[in-house]
Amino acid sequence: MRPVNAALGSAGVMLGLVASVLGALTLAAGLRQRRRTGAPPFLCRSGPPAGTHRRKNGSGGDEVGGGSGPGLGLLWLGRSFAWLVLGGAVLATVAMEIALVTHDFSLQYVADNGSRSTPLLYTVASLWSALEGSIILWALVLSGFLAALVRRFADQAGDPLVAWATLAMFVVAAFFFALMVGPADPFTTVAGAVPADGPGPNPLLQNHPLMAVHPPLLYLGYVGFTVPFAFAVAALVTGRVGEGWLAATRRWTLVAWGFLTTGIVLGAWWSYEVLGWGGFWAWDPVENASFLPWLTGTAYLHSVMIQQRRGMLRVWNLSLLVATFSLTILGTFLTRSGVLDSVHSFTESPIGPWLLSFFGATVVVSLGLIGWRGDRLRAPGRIDSPVSREGAFLANNVVFAAFAFVVLLGTVFPLLVEAVNDDRISVGTPYFNRMTMPLGLVLLFLMAVAPALPWRKASGELLRTRLHWPAWAATGVVVAAVLLGARGLAPLLAFGLGAFAAAAALRQLALAARASRRRGGSVLAGVVGRANGGMVVHLGVVLVAVAFAAASSYDSSVEARLAPGESVSLAGHTVTYLGMDEPVVTGQRETVAARVQVDGGQVFQPALNRFPNATQTIGTPSVRTGLTEDVYLTLVAGPDQPGDPAVIGVVVQPLVVWLWIGGGVMALGTVLAVWPGEHRRRQAGVAVRAGHDGGDTDEDAARDPVDVDARPEPAGVS
Amino acid sequence: MSARRLLPWLALVLVLAGALVVGSAGDGGPRTDAERTAALSSQLRCPTCRGQSVRDSNAPAAAAIRTEIARRVEEGQSDEEILAYVDGQFSESLLLTPPRSGVGSLVWILPVAALVVALAGLAAAFRRWRPPAPPEVSEEDRRRVAEALGSEGTDR
Repeated sequence: MRPVNAALGSAGVMLGLVASVLGALTLAAGLRQRRRTGAPPFLCRSGPPAGTHRRKNGSGGDEVGGGSGPGLGLLWLGRSFAWLVLGGAVLATVAMEIALVTHDFSLQYVADNGSRSTPLLYTVASLWSALEGSIILWALVLSGFLAALVRRFADQAGDPLVAWATLAMFVVAAFFFALMVGPADPFTTVAGAVPADGPGPNPLLQNHPLMAVHPPLLYLGYVGFTVPFAFAVAALVTGRVGEGWLAATRRWTLVAWGFLTTGIVLGAWWSYEVLGWGGFWAWDPVENASFLPWLTGTAYLHSVMIQQRRGMLRVWNLSLLVATFSLTILGTFLTRSGVLDSVHSFTESPIGPWLLSFFGATVVVSLGLIGWRGDRLRAPGRIDSPVSREGAFLANNVVFAAFAFVVLLGTVFPLLVEAVNDDRISVGTPYFNRMTMPLGLVLLFLMAVAPALPWRKASGELLRTRLHWPAWAATGVVVAAVLLGARGLAPLLAFGLGAFAAAAALRQLALAARASRRRGGSVLAGVVGRANGGMVVHLGVVLVAVAFAAASSYDSSVEARLAPGESVSLAGHTVTYLGMDEPVVTGQRETVAARVQVDGGQVFQPALNRFPNATQTIGTPSVRTGLTEDVYLTLVAGPDQPGDPAVIGVVVQPLVVWLWIGGGVMALGTVLAVWPGEHRRRQAGVAVRAGHDGGDTDEDAARDPVDVDARPEPAGVS
Repeated sequence: MSARRLLPWLALVLVLAGALVVGSAGDGGPRTDAERTAALSSQLRCPTCRGQSVRDSNAPAAAAIRTEIARRVEEGQSDEEILAYVDGQFSESLLLTPPRSGVGSLVWILPVAALVVALAGLAAAFRRWRPPAPPEVSEEDRRRVAEALGSEGTDR
């Protein structure tokens, strides 16, 4: 049994690597053949009917749009390697999971991260508790997206755009499989005698079930951005830099964004529930690494609308996608290479140089492609007025870019300073809060104003009408907050602008619902589709922003040494220490819990856990969650002797629960935005996929102007 | 625009400004000793952990620093004195706020500079995007147009 897992896993990794390389090479050969023989370019929109036909009839005839030709066979062959890549990744994952669950300590990874006493859930989750395993997860998610892409665009396999995108995915996949062959081999076996047991994962990672869901969701988001990035590269290579590829990847981007958002919010929730300091966001490099692609991805989701509507900002949108993808690689480098401990330590971990080189290569190749295609990327349009929807999106992008710059600079700045003059400085929460707060407030303001702005140019009169009641809602909220005792300019501005943005989003949703009803549709249609789902996401953002401002501005905390029966008062709450429970031993973990009563009512049990292989005790906070405020209890230090005083930590923070609710609303909004709207549903069944939102590229249109109007009508095809 | 239409907005601005003034006037920072201790310890990095402040960390070293800060707050020392004292106890700086002088100040300056450049770029782009001015029309042209339009044009 023992060598089997290692052999299976390594075989899976090798299969994945070989299949990705072969896939990339086959596609490259196919593309080259088509190019050399001058096969007619194969347009997205003419692909599907021809493709379906071809699949049934083998080689197919000489259809309009170049349904056959040299190299097509290679393109068909190349894409099918995706399934082998997926197979390899699944095999590696399954082998590692079997090894973990069966406690196969002959594998170094299991010996380092497994233990017989770890509960099954955390044993399964150990796959992503250390570097090598998390690369397996990355490869699995990436090959999942690769296979999904191949399946989704099966009808357009002969389209060079799709082929190039698939090729780019193969290259990225090859890199991650190569990591597992080279510096981060998860299937190395232990040298010498096989240990009888292991230490188990880091205690912090086996303290809360969220650890089982937060990392996979984050990876789905992180890795999901590879798909739009691959299409961006493909658009540059093929020169079809118009809007077709944007429409084709719209939902992929949204889905990745939704997963990333959910992953980040769940990560904050995990740190609130586990770390025991009452906080949920510490601007720590790992958090920043996940937040950076979110910022650039969010900027992209907005600016892409200018391109789809007006054909402008092509270079900018491509750059944002390149930035988003390369920031995921840079973030992995920062958090996985040990570089953050010291600049000088990163070469000690073998994976650091690999990731940094890949990051560098990504940036250089992408910028090179953008430079090479510079002539095609220039758009003729112009933006008429800053006071317009376009103007608001541009401002949004400048602020998001500045936000990302602040977070990136703050994260890497200590490294830069250390590299330059060997000085060590810290850039922490005070810096990030001070620098990002004004940017956050401006974003809230834009969120309120942008939906009210029409495209092209707005008049003052129009704005006054549309913003009338949102502005009064904002004023009302500020007045109410002041009357309720809220103080401080920044949180009051956050509440006011939050109300402003929420009212604007609600107004938009109400209008959409009314319009839909007037057309005879359902009210529900008011919340479905990109624009309306986006407004629901905005509502979630407002909830998160307001909760963040309230919780971090109006928190109060105390640490008190209390004898049994003694109380401490904080922010209107009385917390009484009643005594200790008997220590409980589960597996290797010894837990001591205190009994703490809040306001003479319910008794909570904050605890301390001692793990045999950890030097520090790990706390398990206990929280009284409420809609208006949370009372967060920790056991800082247990009594030395039974009956002695214990140190109890209390944190009272308002509105914390709305962070998680807001995160849920954002996820819901994303689902609604991905959901086919009325327009899309009407066209369901029509094989025209890419480029159907009027997304034909200018180049395509110029090459074949008739075809734009000659797109198959829904009725004609179905 | 008529004064009657402007009035509600004027009222809104007044109410909002009033509320914000009242709301930010009472905000004099932390007052009690416990609040000062908490505020100060969130300015310092825990020396033995990664990425956590002294306030947030459960490590013994952080707890010791918190006790020391609380003692000095009680003695009535100023915030600057306390931060300087604790920071001086360690070979590496514990201050989570980067310095405002030397190389460290770049972390404050660069984002502001970048934002200014970006906004200037945006302004330049809008200037470039501005529709071209209507062409100059000479008297000669006007006369020709008038002629072409016939009698109704000649009045003007």
